[in-house]
Amino acid sequence: MKFRLSDRQVGVLFMLPLIIAVGVFLVWPIAEAVRLSFVRYNPLRPDDQPFVGLDNYLFVLDDPLFWESFYQALVWTGWSTVLQALIGVGLALLLHQPLKGMNAFRGLLLFPYIVPTVVIALNWRWLFNSEIGIVNHLLMSAGVIDERIAWLSTPSMAMASAILLNVWKYTPFVVIVVLARLQTIPTELYDAAKVDGAGALRRFRDITLPQLAEVLAVVIVFRTIWTFNKFEEIYLLTRGGPGTSTYNLALYAFDQSIANLRMGVGAAAGVIMLLLLLAGSMLYIRVSGFGREDKAA
Amino acid sequence: MRPWVAAILYAVLGAITFVVCFPLLWAISTSLKPKDEIFRWPPTLWPENITFESYHELLFGGSVASAPGAGVPPSAYFLTWFANSIIVSVGSTIISITVATLAAYSLTRFRFWGQRSVPYIAILGYMVPSVIFVFPMFLTMVSLELTDTLFSLILGYVCITLPFCLWLMWAFFRGVPIEIEEAALVDGASRLQVFRQIVLPVALPGIIAASIFSLIVSWNDYLFGRVFMNSMENLPLTVGVMHFFDGTHVDWGLMMASSVLMTLPMAILFGFMQRHLVAGFGAGAVKG
Repeated sequence: MKFRLSDRQVGVLFMLPLIIAVGVFLVWPIAEAVRLSFVRYNPLRPDDQPFVGLDNYLFVLDDPLFWESFYQALVWTGWSTVLQALIGVGLALLLHQPLKGMNAFRGLLLFPYIVPTVVIALNWRWLFNSEIGIVNHLLMSAGVIDERIAWLSTPSMAMASAILLNVWKYTPFVVIVVLARLQTIPTELYDAAKVDGAGALRRFRDITLPQLAEVLAVVIVFRTIWTFNKFEEIYLLTRGGPGTSTYNLALYAFDQSIANLRMGVGAAAGVIMLLLLLAGSMLYIRVSGFGREDKAA
Repeated sequence: MRPWVAAILYAVLGAITFVVCFPLLWAISTSLKPKDEIFRWPPTLWPENITFESYHELLFGGSVASAPGAGVPPSAYFLTWFANSIIVSVGSTIISITVATLAAYSLTRFRFWGQRSVPYIAILGYMVPSVIFVFPMFLTMVSLELTDTLFSLILGYVCITLPFCLWLMWAFFRGVPIEIEEAALVDGASRLQVFRQIVLPVALPGIIAASIFSLIVSWNDYLFGRVFMNSMENLPLTVGVMHFFDGTHVDWGLMMASSVLMTLPMAILFGFMQRHLVAGFGAGAVKG
């Protein structure tokens, strides 16, 4: 038996799995998260879910730990993103130089991006171990410090270690995107500028930077949103500690849901994160012109 | 470029590369040291006596099947966890890639209502953090009585891999010229024949790039495994190795050896597929 599907049927048939998947894996969990944020839900008593209105939100907004987490998330995101952008652009410019064997350097410098977060967290705990860690040893033998630093049990140092971990893992992201953009800048622009007598610095300021501006803006928005919501990097390195000094909103939501068994409160914190993220996405759409006729077509 | 400029650039690049690779080099060095050397102060940069005992313990440390229950050291589960991670990564990747490829083709070749909103949905889904997905999905798994199964983890990972697979395949198909397909259709080939014989081979690089990203994301995930799974024998590798911290005494040799073994599959994929990876990054499809 041979039957032919019409073009239209094929089109619909191919879309069907996506429509189902978006419903099951995107719309449903988010809708369920919103619903949870309006009920009291203790996972040990799943059948008892009274509607509590805005109580969970009020609880969250009244919780000093929430605001502490929010502030720390800003510190963590700000430092991480700025450092990633600066180091990323610098590295991309370096890797863009026409040198032999550049592919090997590119490969090695992009490598951290694919290393599992658990592995990095384990390595960091070992490198920054206060008793026998190599970082303390190197700093002491170089004479930078006199005594061992308790990296992960001093609040400011724990935050710094976490930021360093984030920068180490995600700077390659910036490098790759910027590098891809650098390769599309027409070389004629540089040739013309050279003829006009522009020096290297001048060429960087007048040609490279303006050409990179758009892609950089997009990368920075992306990195800001992702970094702000990161969970595993901090949780696996410090568990939010010492005390609560490295909590961010994701850890706060996780902690409320799992440790305090207040799924509703955790969900409310999640919905607040989602709203912040929507605001960020609007910014992204504005910055990138994503969805505009000329780009989407 | 003048030779001395090149020399300086090489020196700078070499130094940066060394610093970037140092955490992993240090992990390799530690994993090859005997236990007493690991705890020596000042630490030795490279093991004086190279030993593979940490690797041996992970790979041949006795099987769980022979002695189940309490008293089994976490390291005995290492190979089981490794297999679990492979199963769930491959499983979720197959689902995400299949769904994304079909839809992306349909989106770029047909017109229908609501079409323009799909990329927005993809970009949004791509930004939503796992910590928002994980609890609703977990509660759903509870009501379906699927918790603590590898299947639940496969479904969970589809949440985080599907949006960017769709995004990547959509970007990819937009760049594939439509003329050959049209010619084949005019010659009387059916749409499905065109898809199988013309479109899929052309789309292969995009499919490979998207698959690698998807494999990396699911292999590296910790949160879903942490929330969904309970039994030691069902954990993925990322959640499992954190159990090495359970005892009072932390065995850093074991820890670093498992770090190395966990990174190895990704490193191999990365090495083979670096070109595809960069192509994928260029298309703007990355999750992090």
